[in-house]
Amino acid sequence: MRAAGFPEEQVRARALNGTAEAFPPVESYGHEVFGARAFGDERPADELDAARLVPPVFMPLRLEKLIDLGREPLQSDVDLATTVGGFSSALPVFLSAFGSTRIGSSEVSVAASRQAGALGIPMVIGENVVPVTGYRQEPDATTGMLARVRAYLDEAGPSLGGVVVQQSTEDADAEVWNLVYSDPAAEPLLASGRLGFELKVGQGAKPGLGGLTVLDRATAARVSDQFAIDDLWSGAGVLRSGSPGTFTDEILRQQIRFMRNNFPRARIWVKLHPGRDVAQAAACAWEAGADAVTVDGAEGGTGWAPRAFLDHVGLPLAECLRRIGTPSGCLLATGRVWEGVRAVKALALGATAVGLGRAALTAVDADPEHGLRRLVECLAFEVRLLTSALGKYTPAALGSEDVWFPGRTGAADPAPRHRESLT
Amino acid sequence: MEHATTVAIEPAADRRPPPLAEHLDSDTTRAAMLIQQEVLGAARTYLRGEGFVEMLPPVIGPVTDPGARGSKQVDVDYYGHKYKVMSSGILYKQASLLTFDKIFYVAPNVRAEPVETCNTQRHLAEFHQIDVEMAHGTRADSMRIAEGLLTYVVRHALTAVPEQFELLGRDPLAFAWLLSGPFGVLSHREAVDELHLLGHPQSPDAEIAWTGEELLSRQKDRPFFVTDYPKGSRGFYDRESTTEPGRLRNFDLLAPEGYGELVSGSERESDYATIVTRMRETGENPAKYRWYLDVMRQGVPRSAGFGMGLERLIRFLTGLDAVWQVNAYPKVPGEMAP
Repeated sequence: MRAAGFPEEQVRARALNGTAEAFPPVESYGHEVFGARAFGDERPADELDAARLVPPVFMPLRLEKLIDLGREPLQSDVDLATTVGGFSSALPVFLSAFGSTRIGSSEVSVAASRQAGALGIPMVIGENVVPVTGYRQEPDATTGMLARVRAYLDEAGPSLGGVVVQQSTEDADAEVWNLVYSDPAAEPLLASGRLGFELKVGQGAKPGLGGLTVLDRATAARVSDQFAIDDLWSGAGVLRSGSPGTFTDEILRQQIRFMRNNFPRARIWVKLHPGRDVAQAAACAWEAGADAVTVDGAEGGTGWAPRAFLDHVGLPLAECLRRIGTPSGCLLATGRVWEGVRAVKALALGATAVGLGRAALTAVDADPEHGLRRLVECLAFEVRLLTSALGKYTPAALGSEDVWFPGRTGAADPAPRHRESLT
Repeated sequence: MEHATTVAIEPAADRRPPPLAEHLDSDTTRAAMLIQQEVLGAARTYLRGEGFVEMLPPVIGPVTDPGARGSKQVDVDYYGHKYKVMSSGILYKQASLLTFDKIFYVAPNVRAEPVETCNTQRHLAEFHQIDVEMAHGTRADSMRIAEGLLTYVVRHALTAVPEQFELLGRDPLAFAWLLSGPFGVLSHREAVDELHLLGHPQSPDAEIAWTGEELLSRQKDRPFFVTDYPKGSRGFYDRESTTEPGRLRNFDLLAPEGYGELVSGSERESDYATIVTRMRETGENPAKYRWYLDVMRQGVPRSAGFGMGLERLIRFLTGLDAVWQVNAYPKVPGEMAP
């Protein structure tokens, strides 16, 4: 598996070595000096990477924590447990859908599910899993939707996390939600309030487009009445394009209400592409009762997308977060998140949690059994370190004053303040 | 065949159907079937008297009623194509108005209901509806027919087979209010307010949940209508109010004493563009519904209609604990039964 344009080597190193990768090699300790740019001169990939976290000198919230503890607080005093889209989560992190990559529907994805369960973080199962891999298969099947749910539950504690099942317009035909909701196998999730459904409106890698897959000619002929078929590679396969579905504010509002009506025991999530009206769409979704809105920045996506879309279409995550401002519901951010700094920046700019997509895939590709766990442990370590450096001890206390965008006047407020105090 | 003067009826609330042979050989089942026979005969007499023509419903089709409340459609392989067993005949009912202005079915339906509904005592995965549709009808017309139909079949059954009611220990006085005057009407909003006053949580944007419906029904001594459900709680074919956007021109008819919903009905959307838009609002892919949309594009009359759940009606009449007791071959959601 390759993940071009993505810090693949660093992610693989974390998948193998875990939290040790948060630091320079330990052998260099006491022998070398380091400073900025000590590890190469790579230009930041986007505006969020270019931004800096800016701890203040005066820290009233640290004083509060000091009084609370009766001693000076440390990074280990940062409490990362939070509520993510209606689920109790051990960390402000969730596992994103793996998209239509082949690896996303293989046994590796089952291993990833097991690790997400053990970590106590929510997991999203992609829209394509049922149509492509099937739902039930054999009772002891090692891939497919039920295998992933089973793997997750086997490792999860009794109350943490949750499983969120995606559906989009084109696979509404497969009735994935109804299938899951009426299946006795889903009862353990429903009984513990840990089943969610995610309405996929769009994705970061190709805003405005639906699913794109490459099929052989015979398969393509069978689905030609349902999908656009383009013969592009003279024999190597044909392009199958699905519809992303049509949305207006009323369609989105009513679809969410319909989901709440039909699946009252499930949490409702909505995944948006980074559209220019993302703030309006997110507000509409929260107002209609969505438990979470995921915004997938244009940097995101495990999906295979046309070159034209990779660098030129859709808003970057930082701009999405800026347009949304103070969210009126649970906001989840995805798009090129793999380590703690980007996570803390997204949390400071309004997200409740960040999703790992490509990073998680790369990590389980490097080490199927432990890769995701190590990657997330390293990320969590960095989030604790950075949050405490900002003088704060919960992710919810992070605010836009903690982030500085170079060249933007007045972007970071010098006065330390709590996000809750913003109006 | 000899009947005991009373049947020892075991409360069904905490148990599931017995083996089929035992169920079929029970006096309770026999009494329920004899009452059902009278109800079906009377329903046909009443509806034909009102000018309705009985048609026979299809069993499978490329699409069916997308329905609501989380039930799953049942697929069949039809010459290599995925067909659906009818979850309701609504799409065909509308199309059939091209043949007659007033039609009805006695229709079998299959819905793989969520497993949680096996405890409601009101759900079967396989059930029947008396399905009625009338061209140029309004909601008021449809409510009038539903009320007339219910009153007529109850009166007929009580007169025709009083001994069966006696056998089941169902007091005919339970229907005195039903037979004595018009049914009450409550808007969805009023129903929500009433539930809130009773201290029961209920979303104003959603279908009234099973427990809420039962609670509401327990407060009443005769059947009552609930009208104007919010959009987002029903299928795309229930017409949206033009004067009150967000509200549907629909209704449910609920039985008293906790028996709950017997009938769902509505004025229908018949405008092609509105139907396509409403399909999107209910998360449906319009491409699936090609035959139906083609018919709608050609034009069918505006209409109104309803479906009356046969087993629920018989349960209300017999006063039995669970709906499976009034179906000869009951299929409780989530349980494998013959």
